[in-house]
Amino acid sequence: MESAREEILSGVRAHVPALGLKMNGEPLVYLDNAATTQKPSTVLDFLSDALREGNANVHRSMYALSDRSTEAYEAAREKVRAFINAPSRENVVFTSGTTASINLVADTFCRRLGKGDVILIEADSHHSNIVPWQLAAERTGAFVKVIPTDVLLGIGRSGRVAAEEVDNLLDDKVKILAITQISNITGFLNPVSEIIAKAHAKGIPVLVDGAQGIVHGGVDVREMDCDFYAFSAHKIYGATGVGILYGKKEMLESLPPYMGGGDMVETVTYAKTTYAPLPLRFEAGTPNFIGAASLLPALEFAEYLSSGETGKVIKEEEARITGYMLERLTKDPLVELYGNPALCEGVCKAPIFTFNIKGINAGDLAQLLDKMGVAVRSGMMCAEPLLNSFGVPSALRASFAPYNTLEEAEFFVRCLDRARAMLL
Amino acid sequence: MSIKEIEQQIVEEFSIFDNWMDKYQYIIDLGKSMPVIAEEKKKDENLIKGCQSRVWLDCRQEDGKLYFSADSDAIITKGIISLLIRVYDGHTPKEILDSEIDFIDTIGLRSNLSPTRANGLVSMLKQIKLYALAFNEINEESTATAEPSKENASDVPSDENATAGQHSPGKYTVEEVQKNVIRALKQVFDPEIPVNVYDLGLIYELRVEDNLNVYIKMTMTSPTCPMAEDVVNDVNNAVSDAPGVAGVQIELTFEPEWDESRMTEEARLELGLI
Repeated sequence: MESAREEILSGVRAHVPALGLKMNGEPLVYLDNAATTQKPSTVLDFLSDALREGNANVHRSMYALSDRSTEAYEAAREKVRAFINAPSRENVVFTSGTTASINLVADTFCRRLGKGDVILIEADSHHSNIVPWQLAAERTGAFVKVIPTDVLLGIGRSGRVAAEEVDNLLDDKVKILAITQISNITGFLNPVSEIIAKAHAKGIPVLVDGAQGIVHGGVDVREMDCDFYAFSAHKIYGATGVGILYGKKEMLESLPPYMGGGDMVETVTYAKTTYAPLPLRFEAGTPNFIGAASLLPALEFAEYLSSGETGKVIKEEEARITGYMLERLTKDPLVELYGNPALCEGVCKAPIFTFNIKGINAGDLAQLLDKMGVAVRSGMMCAEPLLNSFGVPSALRASFAPYNTLEEAEFFVRCLDRARAMLL
Repeated sequence: MSIKEIEQQIVEEFSIFDNWMDKYQYIIDLGKSMPVIAEEKKKDENLIKGCQSRVWLDCRQEDGKLYFSADSDAIITKGIISLLIRVYDGHTPKEILDSEIDFIDTIGLRSNLSPTRANGLVSMLKQIKLYALAFNEINEESTATAEPSKENASDVPSDENATAGQHSPGKYTVEEVQKNVIRALKQVFDPEIPVNVYDLGLIYELRVEDNLNVYIKMTMTSPTCPMAEDVVNDVNNAVSDAPGVAGVQIELTFEPEWDESRMTEEARLELGLI
């Protein structure tokens, strides 16, 4: 049983060359997966092959190489469609990342907003699901309101989003909700479906930031019933510089064009232009077509990690990692964990652990861990308001991917103890 | 001890550590034993922000020498700061401006000073130099306005190591100084284009006042020039050292924006533009 587990896990890891790297002379233990994931060989080979043998601009030309490139690009779109269970390829727009996807919606949707209208966001948002809305609010005279956490309300210390407050916040002025599937700080799975149902009952559309969610648990956009869903390829084993915006057809059609340029048009005269149908209308200019096409092998890898015997072993491993990490981090009086599920009944947590050790700067810890080969994030994790609500300017974050093992979690904790002994 | 000698001393101290743990433990201990900065010095105007840690830096001048005090909420950063302060403390602004420290690299802590680590150290080093620059200018002004009691300033360009503000005003005419300044400006080169700042047309205004203080209004080839500060420093150093110059005031402007038409014919010829 144990050897079967080991065999499967080492088989998984063998697909990802970067996991065999050494850093500072030590084997790399990569625990910054919430920032970006390492790539499997299939993606690496695809990128190399595509640049060698499949490089021609997409949707443009009447020659075989361009057909090959366009087919790869559109095959990836179809793969994404199936992966998130979108109804049609028209619903899947390629962008440059989650941030670009959210900006697209914030910019175009909010043009219909006026003075006094409200954009409702979540207190646990990444900066990329805050700032685009603030910019839109500035332009239109609308303002941004926040669904608070239990910490902000003073009713708890877990950092969970107080979804019960949504009812009070949803008045006639609210024109759109921008929420987060899984927080990149707490790792909590937010009650997204519940919030969406409440918003839809009042006819208000909802955008979901799925940057973390797509990796831990995935999404069925029809079941979730979100109006927009944004995520990045690089966080799910694909190339950097590629994002996805899923949108319901009627929602996407209601948006004015965002960026103007080639490929997004139907006919252009100097006086007037008509625009291409979905999804190309939102893909002005030459897209990152090779990066986007890498989503095909990337999502195949994601499927391999979650299906069959491999999927079962990885799921068990993730539960063991989470159990172990929570035990080590919550039983220590000097550790403050931001997103402690024990403080909040019934919440599910992805293996993202953000914490501080009292009296020690997170940056110091990260530096010493780096010397031992452990890569973790320190700082604000682009979620300054949420961290500040816990009363801290920075924190340390260890975020696991399906290819991480319990042994790595144990090694991380040993190194953490060692670093802490040096610093205290 | 000179800045170089102190650096050498630190490098020797670190050479006894043969593993990173001992080295970092030493830095951590340095950080812990660093004198605590007064709370009132930890005000926002002394704060240098970095994503990973915050750094406070304060500077005072005594007898023409600068003394720094600093603090950080990260102990490793603080340890490295204590090394930097040990190197710079008790030196004149000019000495600090002229120094190029490399011991951080030599003792293997280079990554800590990398701009990619937003731990405040890079900004702190910059701030130390800015303090030195500011005090240097203040000192020059006060020297320049003092009665010309110093001995003969010679006609030959002053020794490179001479401190700024040594030139005795009074022996030069405004026209002479103007010529000397232009000669000095022609020795300062743009970091990207192999033409000096004067012939490039970066100097928008050059004024030598009766008291031989020099006012320069200049620009960069691009508003986003990452070397802007270095170029201004170079201009400041070169002009300060020009014979007859009492003090230098440089104003950086980007209006109007520089373009190639501002270059002298010689410069354009040199670059093959005509």
